[in-house]
Amino acid sequence: MIDAFTFLFTTCMLSIIVNLGISLYGVLYRPSLIKKIISLTIFSDSANITAIIIGYVRWRNPGEIAPPVLLNPSPTLEDIETFAKVAVDPLPQALVLTAIVIGLAVTLFLVFLTLQMYRFYGTTDVRRIAKLRG
Amino acid sequence: MRRLLGLLVIVLFITLFALVIASGGFGYEVPPSRVRELARQFLVYAYNPFNTTFTVKSPEAVTSIVWDFRGLDTLFETLVFYLAIIGALSLYRGIESGKRAEVISLGLSPIVKTVTKLTAGIIITVAASIALHGHLTPGGGFQGGATAAVAPLLILIVFSKYFLENLGLRKNVLLALRSIGLLGIGVTAFSALIIGLAAGSPAYVFQNQPKPDAPVGLPVHIGDSLISGTLWFFNFFEMFAVAAGFTVIFLLLGIPEGEVLKQLREEVGEH
Repeated sequence: MIDAFTFLFTTCMLSIIVNLGISLYGVLYRPSLIKKIISLTIFSDSANITAIIIGYVRWRNPGEIAPPVLLNPSPTLEDIETFAKVAVDPLPQALVLTAIVIGLAVTLFLVFLTLQMYRFYGTTDVRRIAKLRG
Repeated sequence: MRRLLGLLVIVLFITLFALVIASGGFGYEVPPSRVRELARQFLVYAYNPFNTTFTVKSPEAVTSIVWDFRGLDTLFETLVFYLAIIGALSLYRGIESGKRAEVISLGLSPIVKTVTKLTAGIIITVAASIALHGHLTPGGGFQGGATAAVAPLLILIVFSKYFLENLGLRKNVLLALRSIGLLGIGVTAFSALIIGLAAGSPAYVFQNQPKPDAPVGLPVHIGDSLISGTLWFFNFFEMFAVAAGFTVIFLLLGIPEGEVLKQLREEVGEH
């Protein structure tokens, strides 16, 4: 018998994997460029959630897991050691922050490119764009 | 055939991903029961008055990593964002939006306009709080800037694009604001080096707190307020760069499609 936390965590991991599959399907099979971009954002968000979940610490008693923010303004050495024991991993959070900004920048550029394509060709369907010559 | 190939790619990717998790690629216990050693070091040294060599003097471990431990990462990430907006702007080169003197009649109903007037100020205040407390609480320059950009977006939708431009938030003004933000980030990155050169002492680029071989750095406090050296300045300037960058994009997307198409056709017709 598994406990509720393990069940929820497994469900979460499975849903991330399903999300990755669906978003890959969208990128590969949907003909509309806008839908491809939406799928790409779902893909990057799923990857980000995976990174965050890996940086979490295994559930213990309530109060034994804390965000990586030191609340004591004048800590002693023991306070800092306790903080390092209870806080979750801040590194994936920092990397995900970077990934979100870069993902957003790329999405912005792709959206503008698609808009421009639509203006010139009157469609965002890649099958029709591929058939155009010149 | 191509459909089958695509399906194969998806199945293969998911199987490999599941295999990586199952075989311990992310650690044998996911999530781990304790943080990794590197993360522990970051947590211990983020705010550590007893170790002046490595500490950032910021109680927020994520901001410490973002702007100090892995500061160069963030600098180049800001550059990627800068380049993406330059790319978007280059697609809109030569396209100007028309001007309108009478803009009061445009937009949504007076009720929505009044509510927007009230909330826009509150949004800017919250954004400033998120950005300027980035070294103390979760948040930071990017988050604050993204929040601040919501206020001009609301004004753009509720009043009109022309109202926003009449307020002074034109494309070139925003680009200047964004460049000032990026210049500020650049100057802050070199600040310790500039202080070091003036004081005749060794210093590093992207240095925050004094180190044993480079005993210069930015102050930890201004008055009684903790600013964590360069962190506060980075967050402050990043907020301007991000908010102005987003607003430029919203303004460009707000140009009526008819005007854009007309100007594009003229441009294509000329060549």
